Amino acid sequence: MNGQTSHQQPKDGRHDDDAALTEFLASLMDYTPTIPDELVEHYLAKSGFQCPDARLTRLVAVATQKFIADVATDALQQCKARPAVIKDKRDKQQKYGVNVKHQEYFADTPSAGLDPASRDE
Amino acid sequence: MSDGGEAEGRRDEHNDSNMRFGADEYSRAIARVAMAQICEGIGFEGFNESALDSLADIAIRYVCELGKTSRLYANLAGRMSCNIFDIVQGLEDMGTPQGFTGASEVHSDCVVSSGAIREIKEYLETADEVPFGQPVPHFPVISEQRMIPSFLQMGETPAFKCVPPWLPAFPDPHTYLQTPVWNERQSDARTDKIELARQHRKAERSLLSLQQRLICNGSSVATTSDEPYNEENGLEVNNNGNLIFENPLDAGKIVMSKISIPPKLSSQAHAEKKVSLLETFAPAIEAMKDGLESGSDGENTIPEKKAPVFLELKGGKKLFGEPLDLRIRNKAVGRAALWFGHNGENDDKKRRVEFILRQSLENQQELPQ
Repeated sequence: MNGQTSHQQPKDGRHDDDAALTEFLASLMDYTPTIPDELVEHYLAKSGFQCPDARLTRLVAVATQKFIADVATDALQQCKARPAVIKDKRDKQQKYGVNVKHQEYFADTPSAGLDPASRDE
Repeated sequence: MSDGGEAEGRRDEHNDSNMRFGADEYSRAIARVAMAQICEGIGFEGFNESALDSLADIAIRYVCELGKTSRLYANLAGRMSCNIFDIVQGLEDMGTPQGFTGASEVHSDCVVSSGAIREIKEYLETADEVPFGQPVPHFPVISEQRMIPSFLQMGETPAFKCVPPWLPAFPDPHTYLQTPVWNERQSDARTDKIELARQHRKAERSLLSLQQRLICNGSSVATTSDEPYNEENGLEVNNNGNLIFENPLDAGKIVMSKISIPPKLSSQAHAEKKVSLLETFAPAIEAMKDGLESGSDGENTIPEKKAPVFLELKGGKKLFGEPLDLRIRNKAVGRAALWFGHNGENDDKKRRVEFILRQSLENQQELPQ
């Protein structure tokens, strides 16, 4: 904080801040996130996050949901933007009687992605 | 949502081979469903299983990371429990690689104006509310622990002075020592035989007294002149319990008196119970008649035809009602009879066969009438 020049401001600011914060948290409680609270609580407890306030749990849930939504939206755009080459290729293969399983993705090592995330911690 | 996954076959086999679900599986399954719902809201129509798993994994990692970072900031500030500022700080940390608006601004007083919160606010306003499909119970469920009872609870005093009584009790000695399983006692053949015979006599005595009581009840209601029979029964019962083995004819007499009762009592509702009981003795009457054929008294007042019933009896032994749960006694008596030898077994069978043939002939004569 810039100390003495703004004595008055911090107090008023803090009141406004508190009001804004309370309002924000209230709006949080109105919204029911898709990710259930119990799940979020479970994983937060696993990481050592201790808070009895349900609003903070909701905040984490909403933040996670927003993050995933961003990822999924980008993926959808990618999916639509990608040319339909692969789909045509598969159709043509079926027409000629060739059944080849299309590899979804390629991994670096054979053990990549096998261990679940939480086991790392 | 349709499933477009084909590359998961291998993974499913791996899962099926060891079908044990870890503690994680439940929460992962919930996360998968939540992710699928989010994506459906965004506009996806189909999902690869592997992609869904990855997305659920990402979400779980995000939550864990956020929790860890918030805890870190709270501990840094000297607190054990986190607050909103810690979370906001964590959010900003996690959003740093992508950047969020307002990162360059110095933290002003209001945390709500921070970029991360602003973005969340925007999301709250624009996004549709899609709650989770099913109610989720609180987990993990902590099962009740069964504690070992203390010395005080068991009512024991510890063997050693150094052990306080409020501690859990020591295990019983049979858990770590070889203790005898049952009381071993010497078996004497002669005393066993005597004991067995005594039990047989006792069983037969009680059976006779039961019959006597039935007869008494029946006679008291119907006022029949069965007193002589009762006296006989009383006499015989009191004399010796070896009635079965020594006086088969007398035993037959008792049964005959009972047979004479049913026609007189048939009209009375109270006696119907007795009648049904007496009917249960009907199979035993067959056995009696076999013994009585040879030494017949003039008291064969058997009106109805009896269905032939083969009792599983050893020779030389007569029994009363088997259906009265006297099978145990039957077996015991059977064993006792063996001591007296298999004298008349074949004769009994012959007699039974003859009797049945005679009965069938009589029936054939009766039927045309």
